[in-house]
Amino acid sequence: MSSSLAPECNEVKERYDSCFLKWYSEKYLRGKGQKDECAALFNDYKHCLTVSFPTLTSRIISDDPKGALKERGIDKMLEEAREDHKDSDAVHMRRTCKFIAEQN
Amino acid sequence: MVKFYESSYTYDYSFPAVTLAYFLRYPNPYSTHVLSSDTISRSIDEATGQLHTTRIHRKSSRLPPAVLKLLPKSVLGNVSGGRSESYILETSTIDVKEGWMRTESKNLDWTGILSVVESQEFQRRVDSSEVGDGSGVGEGTTGVVTTVMFRSRLGDRLRARARKGDGEGEEEKKGFLASWSTNGIQRSIEAIASRKTENQLGKSKEGMTVVLERLRRGGLVGVLDGMRKDRESEGMWSKG
Repeated sequence: MSSSLAPECNEVKERYDSCFLKWYSEKYLRGKGQKDECAALFNDYKHCLTVSFPTLTSRIISDDPKGALKERGIDKMLEEAREDHKDSDAVHMRRTCKFIAEQN
Repeated sequence: MVKFYESSYTYDYSFPAVTLAYFLRYPNPYSTHVLSSDTISRSIDEATGQLHTTRIHRKSSRLPPAVLKLLPKSVLGNVSGGRSESYILETSTIDVKEGWMRTESKNLDWTGILSVVESQEFQRRVDSSEVGDGSGVGEGTTGVVTTVMFRSRLGDRLRARARKGDGEGEEEKKGFLASWSTNGIQRSIEAIASRKTENQLGKSKEGMTVVLERLRRGGLVGVLDGMRKDRESEGMWSKG
């Protein structure tokens, strides 16, 4: 299984990932997964990530003393990215199959 | 300036297998630069049954030396020796009833130098009229169209700076020269990025295929075993 951004969350992540993959392959893909059965494990995992973010933020800053990440933490960055995605999702969902011509 | 790259491909595996492989694609032997993957949100739309997932991947990355040479020091704040870590935000929506998956990945840093957005549309294909070449799977194949868009905003930034700092007399001449050279840099960065993208798309296809083959042979357990073995051999062969 892939590792977590926060090594201290690897264990909860693995528990959640295993649950999800089992649910996904055995239920969702067979059209029987209307409900996410791994929500409780996901909350544990998410909680771990949230608690770990302050450490992560300082780790990134110390690796990157002059960088653009200095002023804002990664949690804010994610927040922004998520906001950004909401907009593009809305566009994406409205879009019909219109492909952009290849430019050479 | 915006540049597009588009390609189509057909995986010789069923749609469910391809979506599972998408979630399981890291780590694989072709993606040793991916350091971590986390799911940060996941939900099912009750009305449509669509599954929405947002993940964040951390990658070790290296700017190509050719790009480094082109960039002024002022924009290279967080790059030392061309090595850095970068974060990729990936969103995906799967509709298992209709048989499609749409994904989008984009970089969260260095966006001032280059923004890259990769979109993929996977589509279930069950084609009974076509008799396979012997390697086909009973449950059909999966088509994918990949679109990559890059945009270098560097030129805009440099131009804005040049405009601010210009004196009166030389303004026109300097402005013209500044915009000419930054346009050149921008074009070069985009050209290099697009060459790298072709290479990278090949690798991500290979990675998916490795995972799909493991799925076909050994199911989920086969994939997880393969990951463990990759990690062991990685320790043996690579030096970081």
